[in-house]
Amino acid sequence: MTEPRNPGMSSVPQTAPVHTDSSSAAVEMDPVEYTLRKRLPRKLPKRRNDVYVNMKTDFRAQLARCQKLLEGGGHREICVHGLGLAINRAINIALQLQASSQGVLQLAANTSTVELVDDLEPEDPDEAGEPMTRTRNNSAIHIKVFYPDPQ
Amino acid sequence: MFTGCGVVSGQNQYLTRAAVRPHPGLEVNRPIQMENGVTPGTCSVYQDQTYSNVGQPVVVNNVSSPLKPTPLPVPPPALKLGQEGFKKVCRTEEVSPCPFPGLASGVLEMRVKEGSKIRNLMGFAMARMQGEKGVSGGGVSGGLRQVVFTGSGRAVTKTITCAEIMKRKVGSLHQLTKLQYKVVKEVWENTEGGTSEMTVHRTVPSISILLSKDPLDPQEPGYQPPEILSALWEEREGLESSSQTACKRPLGPLPYSSFPHCKRVCLGEGVSVHPPH
Repeated sequence: MTEPRNPGMSSVPQTAPVHTDSSSAAVEMDPVEYTLRKRLPRKLPKRRNDVYVNMKTDFRAQLARCQKLLEGGGHREICVHGLGLAINRAINIALQLQASSQGVLQLAANTSTVELVDDLEPEDPDEAGEPMTRTRNNSAIHIKVFYPDPQ
Repeated sequence: MFTGCGVVSGQNQYLTRAAVRPHPGLEVNRPIQMENGVTPGTCSVYQDQTYSNVGQPVVVNNVSSPLKPTPLPVPPPALKLGQEGFKKVCRTEEVSPCPFPGLASGVLEMRVKEGSKIRNLMGFAMARMQGEKGVSGGGVSGGLRQVVFTGSGRAVTKTITCAEIMKRKVGSLHQLTKLQYKVVKEVWENTEGGTSEMTVHRTVPSISILLSKDPLDPQEPGYQPPEILSALWEEREGLESSSQTACKRPLGPLPYSSFPHCKRVCLGEGVSVHPPH
């Protein structure tokens, strides 16, 4: 919470659902001395053509993955998701895919709000602090990249 | 700002940094102080550069500085320019056509910039949308029916947040979202010399969100109906999946995480959450 931009929440796994520990960044909070742990966002259903974009993986790798799904995988459409800071990257990937297809692909963007939960645990077990949770909202974008139906 | 310039330099492996850097002695890990106002953001910049190396058509920048004789296919990142003693003089956006076809000209357009305060934006927009609803007549001043939020570069996330907040406060709004690239022209000049000047053209992603009380065309790509039932559906799914993840997650030292739904607590209220023992 001390960093204004913390991309830690955009770590929604791309390959398999991961239920490991919740902390992506433990930030000390004073004066009550809490350790802040961010819970992973709610696991969203993932179809074959869903791509979740994050800030940790290389941009080009994510772009190549989307391209492979569209061309090789035979999907007529893929859905690119981005949460928080990854929104920019998701938009870039989608626009890139459209540009590389010479304008054949079309984009449809939907936005939503995702609730994120932070666990605050007292640093010192003897401290009088009690474990608390805090929820906050974050924006998410879902971009559908598709070949338009011939009419 | 990014905490790690390490992120930045990590992606620089395939950038033509050697050609870009006129002063080889400068270190590159120093975070710079960007001027307030509108910046395209290092995030977007690096994405611009990465994609340009994939072989995408890139808007070539007009580099008029004598320090960089070779024409660069990639606009130098703002971070580098700041480190080399360049200061941004001005940033102008090139006008691009409005992406919404057939939009009324009197629609309120909210331009979200990176430094905009959401509080101020929402105050103005809500007043215009909700206020003066009692005034009869179809004039512009009589309770707006439509509003457009536009933002580019680093302001995209803020734009989406503003639109989401407005949707939440003013219910049943139809949404239309459009994405496109915007070309931004920046003028950088040398702080010491004052003679050399550089004009950089950057393409940054931009978003335009149209919110309307009147129904929009559902066949238009990017259309989103007002969320009424879908919110409930999301909540119900959230209950199921969060209880599932709470079970599978290793509990560790947290005594209360077995409780699937911890009540929200504000720090100042002094209400504590205790798991049922």
